[in-house]
Amino acid sequence: MKKRIMALEVDENNLKQGLLGLVVALVEIIQDLVERQAIRRIEGGRLDDDEIERLGKALIDLDEAIEKIKRDNDLEDVVESVIGSLDDVADDLLNKFFNPESWAEEVEKI
Amino acid sequence: MSETAKEGRYIYSIVSSGLESDLGDVGIEESRVRLVSCGDIAAVVHSCPAEPYVTKDDERAKEWVLEHSYVIDLATERFGTVLPFSFDVIFIGDDESVRGWLEENYDLLKGELERVKDRAEYSVQIFCDEGKLNEKIVAADPELQRLRAGIGDMPKGTAYLYQKKLDQKIKEGLLEETARLAKELGAKIDELADEVKIEKKVSWVPDKYKDKMMVAAFSCLVRHDDVEALGDLLEEIDKEEESSIRFSGPWAPFSFVQLKGTGR
Repeated sequence: MKKRIMALEVDENNLKQGLLGLVVALVEIIQDLVERQAIRRIEGGRLDDDEIERLGKALIDLDEAIEKIKRDNDLEDVVESVIGSLDDVADDLLNKFFNPESWAEEVEKI
Repeated sequence: MSETAKEGRYIYSIVSSGLESDLGDVGIEESRVRLVSCGDIAAVVHSCPAEPYVTKDDERAKEWVLEHSYVIDLATERFGTVLPFSFDVIFIGDDESVRGWLEENYDLLKGELERVKDRAEYSVQIFCDEGKLNEKIVAADPELQRLRAGIGDMPKGTAYLYQKKLDQKIKEGLLEETARLAKELGAKIDELADEVKIEKKVSWVPDKYKDKMMVAAFSCLVRHDDVEALGDLLEEIDKEEESSIRFSGPWAPFSFVQLKGTGR
């Protein structure tokens, strides 16, 4: 019986894609946050022209590196789907936070 | 425990009819579909073992679901708007068990049948051309125009960051604009429909709309008398340059009938 429970089929390629996809998706989210922070600093006048240019170039390098990893490992779809699902989870959470009534309805249904 | 499955009744819908009629071999896998009544309401069922319909064959599953929908449509045609069940709901027991359940829940079921009487469900989705909408947002904002015009002369790294800033601003504008469109359309539909629900997810859209952005999706319970007016309203909106409307139905009122927790 024990053996049967352990017999979980794992496709090695799938696992690699899923895991790498998740990591790249997280890096993309961080990249987005860093870019937003950079723009906020430019708007706040806290960076001079040289600093802006250097920061911009560093972010281009990061972007190109991520795109290359995605291309080389055929990860475009996986990453898109991870970010899509995370968006849904976040939407759901925010909705529960800002519209407690809809949450109450859901609980009632259960 | 015995090896043979217990007796069951696959249930398609609840209808307004006091007669125990036979609809013929029109059910899933050509099952004979009949009415089991209680007073002036009845359940549309076929007899089967009390086991769910399960298959790994996608084509076969698709066929079952189509057959399920066909019986719901047929019952709607015969008896008026029905209370539809989703695919694969099976009562354990015989006709008497179904009748007992109908009796026990008569007030609820009768009330629901009255609520959907002479009405049908329609689905409305509004799509926008993202490119056109983006242009509209830039055209309305001199700051965004200045930003866009300046990017070309900037050094590479700086241009990258300002392009990101422009994209962000346009995206914020897009969110505001689509929220406004969705609210406006929702309010207009609300005037003509009995009930409106906002659909968070739409699992399938035709190819025609694949490259467009869905702004909002609604399920509406509409009186038969109001459908034409709703159609006219949506046609007007569809004519507007940046939006197009997908209007479909009539469907059985799946989104408006909740038969959960009634003790199946």
